[in-house]
Amino acid sequence: MPTGFGWDFKTQYKEYFYEHNDYREWDFQAAVYDKVNDRIARITLNRPDKRNAFNDCMYEDIGAALHKANDDPEVRVVIIRGAGKHFGAGHDLSSPEGEESPPVHPSVNPTLQDYYGFERRRCYKYDDARDYPKITIAQVHGKCIGASQIFAASCDIIIAAEDAQFGIRGFGSQLHGLTEYPLWPLWSNKAYAGHAVTEMSGKETVDCGFANKAVKLEELEKETLMWAETLSHLPSEAVAVTNEWISGMLDIMGMGGAQRAHYHAHTGLQYVRFRPEEVNMYKDKRDKGLKGFLEDRAKTATATSHAKK
Amino acid sequence: MSTIIYEIKDGIGYITLNRPEELNAMNDEMLAELDAVLPKAEMDLDAKVIVFKGAGKDFCAGQDLTGVNTNEVLSEPGEHMTIKKRMEAERRRNRRWEYIFNLAKPTIAQVHGHCLGTGCYLSMVCDITIASEDALFGDPLLRMGLLPHMPLWPYLIGIKKTAEMLYTGCYIDGIEAEKINLINKAVPRDELEDEVDKMARGIALMNCDQTAPLKDAVNSVMEARGLGACWRFTNNMQLVMQQRTMPTEEFNFFKVRDKKGLKTAIDERDAPFKNFCEER
Repeated sequence: MPTGFGWDFKTQYKEYFYEHNDYREWDFQAAVYDKVNDRIARITLNRPDKRNAFNDCMYEDIGAALHKANDDPEVRVVIIRGAGKHFGAGHDLSSPEGEESPPVHPSVNPTLQDYYGFERRRCYKYDDARDYPKITIAQVHGKCIGASQIFAASCDIIIAAEDAQFGIRGFGSQLHGLTEYPLWPLWSNKAYAGHAVTEMSGKETVDCGFANKAVKLEELEKETLMWAETLSHLPSEAVAVTNEWISGMLDIMGMGGAQRAHYHAHTGLQYVRFRPEEVNMYKDKRDKGLKGFLEDRAKTATATSHAKK
Repeated sequence: MSTIIYEIKDGIGYITLNRPEELNAMNDEMLAELDAVLPKAEMDLDAKVIVFKGAGKDFCAGQDLTGVNTNEVLSEPGEHMTIKKRMEAERRRNRRWEYIFNLAKPTIAQVHGHCLGTGCYLSMVCDITIASEDALFGDPLLRMGLLPHMPLWPYLIGIKKTAEMLYTGCYIDGIEAEKINLINKAVPRDELEDEVDKMARGIALMNCDQTAPLKDAVNSVMEARGLGACWRFTNNMQLVMQQRTMPTEEFNFFKVRDKKGLKTAIDERDAPFKNFCEER
């Protein structure tokens, strides 16, 4: 329902985000949908020159692909992977004007209400991926940063390359922790580490229960397909019910509240005032371009990073 | 009483699952006897701590799948029961776990051999689980189209591991179970009894009036994180699961069992997963 504020009101009884997209006429641009065989569908995030960073188009393509796989009664398991060298680098920091994926371009000049709309829509997408009624497996290699990590986390299973890099960067080092995704502490009883550790290898994420298995990069595809093939033998309706059961328990355990806290914090971040010595993405981007910002951020990140090399 | 043995020794109460030929699988008789013995053990002032263990080579292989004398323990899909009857059955099922979880007395599961399905649930609702290194933990219910129905899974081992254990149905040994926080400690098989005794005697030194509130305080943390609602939600999902349609081309465990026998059904059930679980 349009609200007059530039965003749609979503009721509690919302559609899944992927059900908005009519895949039958869909022109896939940022993601590729294919079927490995009758029972296994695959979504390949396909902006390799941008390290598969998320923009609006990417979210919509993923939505259409998930819808397509869900409507295909043969499909039991959906694999999500990245084209090129990485799974994904998070949000596309170079997104052009008009995009609602963060960072929102200053020209959009959103009201607080608008911003809530953006945030809710985006967080619900992760919820919806989490609630997806078929088994999802994230096949992670290279970088899996920020939003990409959230998307991987929202899948049922993560198979990672041993040297994959999970982590979060934020818009500047002072925001580490704040932008960390609320799934971390719930995901693993051992990893409250999200707040302290900025980067982890695939191997470390398995040790803390965030991912299920880490293998050598050259074995990653084979391993993922083996999991998909095996899990595709489970009774399909029973899988849907079990998935709903697990997701429901997570909601009871506070996942819904954590999502809300996440997008509230994110909205709050829009109004952060930077001190003179701090890295300000918007200012840096304006004065020095995206590359200049990344260089500045890297300097501060090195100083505060706890990542094990 | 034949399927459950209850005895007290040196301030420690022992509840032994006693169907060793059937790997201590739970049938309706065992549940009834368990229901009778639990309040007794809870009230017994001479038992300061309760140890659950299995007779013979295993702790417990889970629900008895024969379909004989298993109406209460096993909710087979497609059974003709009213919603009310099913709901009541599900409530009793989860109330039992919840009751053991909240028993006003410390509980220890002493696990060796198979510890699967509801057997695994029993070990999970105990306060402390000590297992032999070669014990086998797992929850293959989903392979049969049954809902794995223990809400403690994500609380104990986290979300990703829960998905892995329940979707793959693969078994893990005691060492792995300790690593993922499913149990407290894995020890060599021949040291298991000593290790549990040591722990139980240590706890038995404490006054009952101290241990009961402590246990309640620990469990209330889980309660605050929503465990109470999770039990109820699990009941509801069990109902949904039993109403589901079974596509004809899919493997139907109960049909195969009735036609070709239990062993064949279990073999057919596990066949697609065998190589995967071994290589993992």
